[in-house]
Amino acid sequence: MHLLEVSNPVAVQRGVLNAISASNRPNSLNNKMVGLIWSGTHGGDIALKRAGEMLQERYDNVSVNFYTGGNYPTPPAIVKQAGEECDVVIGATAD
Amino acid sequence: MIMVEKMGKPGVAIVSGRFESDAVASSRAFGMPDLQWVVVPHIYRNLDPETCRTQTEDAIDDLVGSLTSSIDAREETEAVDTRRYEGEDRYDSILKMNQEFINEDLGDGLFLQPATPEAVAEMLKGTNLPPDHVVCDMPPGFGVATVEKIAINSVMAGAKPEHLPVVIAAVKALSKLGGQGGKSLLMSTSPQAPLLIVNGPATKQLGLNPGSALGPGRDNQINTLIGRAFALCFRNIGHWYLNKMDMDTIGTSRKFIQCIAENEDASPWQPFHVDQGFEAGESTVSVFVTDGELDVQDQGNHTAKGLLKNLAYGLTFGTMSLQSPRSGQERLILMPPDVARPVGTQGFSKQEAKEYIHEHARGSIGKLMQYMPLEGEARVHDHWKWLEKLTEQQLLEVTVPIMNDADDCYILVVGADRAKTAVFPSGPAPVTEGIDQYMP
Repeated sequence: MHLLEVSNPVAVQRGVLNAISASNRPNSLNNKMVGLIWSGTHGGDIALKRAGEMLQERYDNVSVNFYTGGNYPTPPAIVKQAGEECDVVIGATAD
Repeated sequence: MIMVEKMGKPGVAIVSGRFESDAVASSRAFGMPDLQWVVVPHIYRNLDPETCRTQTEDAIDDLVGSLTSSIDAREETEAVDTRRYEGEDRYDSILKMNQEFINEDLGDGLFLQPATPEAVAEMLKGTNLPPDHVVCDMPPGFGVATVEKIAINSVMAGAKPEHLPVVIAAVKALSKLGGQGGKSLLMSTSPQAPLLIVNGPATKQLGLNPGSALGPGRDNQINTLIGRAFALCFRNIGHWYLNKMDMDTIGTSRKFIQCIAENEDASPWQPFHVDQGFEAGESTVSVFVTDGELDVQDQGNHTAKGLLKNLAYGLTFGTMSLQSPRSGQERLILMPPDVARPVGTQGFSKQEAKEYIHEHARGSIGKLMQYMPLEGEARVHDHWKWLEKLTEQQLLEVTVPIMNDADDCYILVVGADRAKTAVFPSGPAPVTEGIDQYMP
């Protein structure tokens, strides 16, 4: 029998070494401002607007803000604005 | 979404079908493994409006859950330093290693050499850097690229210690590409792939082929080995795994990455690395990101202007984004000696040749923008809004430069005798890194 020992070629990712947790969630979306971030590509706007409509149907006093930077990926300033103005944010990736 | 989460606000991404594994990989790469998303079956981009709505409606319960339920941390697997394989003999154990590596997608599908401690130690003699030296965080997955990890992957590729400085320099160069190492491009559904081009004394010292340089076989053994070493680094350090951080629709054989040399002896001009600010006596590697390849044939031109006009026409394929005033198009031109020599000897400097090509490389904007219908598209920059008023026929008749300026094309002399030029759509701008600094 032969025992072969080899070194692992896979590198640990910086993002795993420095990982942070996702933020706490609210119990309900009642009275929340929902941000919808569109990257500007076909169909993503329709999907996000429908999601916003359905949340407004399910919860009381939900407001919706729609954001687009007209570019992909969405410019950081637009994402930052959404984060500042809204309680929760929905985006569409690979849309 | 990670940016939103870092601001303390819950964020959820709607992810389409096969992009779920990309979301898993990206959330790890960008530092938030428990990022939330919901999955819909199809990519929205080419769906009709009604299907866009209905597949979103089907995902609404998951969307609400991701925004309002507490999050369980995703399980992380512990990294290991070594792996062991027991076989009937050494060859059998190597076969077992190969099978497991391919099962885990750690290889390119070809036979991998075992990176034993002895082989890795021998490889490390090829550089002056210590094994734990961090060269960079390698995109697109931002794996920590230590010299040791680069050496391990180089051993697996079959490379030799003298190749290691080129591989290290190429890894470093990739991390310097625009847009965080060309991150978005490398993860794209289009088949972007790096091409490495070496200049300077190292080309002859290592035996790189500057002639018929792109392809398999004896003459291109060194080109292939160094390119493969870089490709395995890209995979296992950069985490450039298909359907995780490489989302190609069809893919390309250019991802069997090649490392070629400029044919400096056959060039009428100064070498490319001198264009990039290095001394002629220095050795460098340049990383280009290519997105396609075209053979531009020439069947009889012998004047510089004739050769360059034909080449300029050859550049006029592809698409043009309307997202910014600039076309965003770049072209890597591998010009064979039978084109470069007459162009150079008839008085064109390399810069003048680039300007002449730029002047004559014009295409119909109606054709170039056909891939991105204006209707329902928010990404059209104000600079191009006037196009929305034109008819289809008028759009076809408007011509624009393929590139914004002459410096958006890069000429390197490569190849054997015959006037056949290889043209690659490319970008972002290439990065050139010195090799000598990594030599023992």
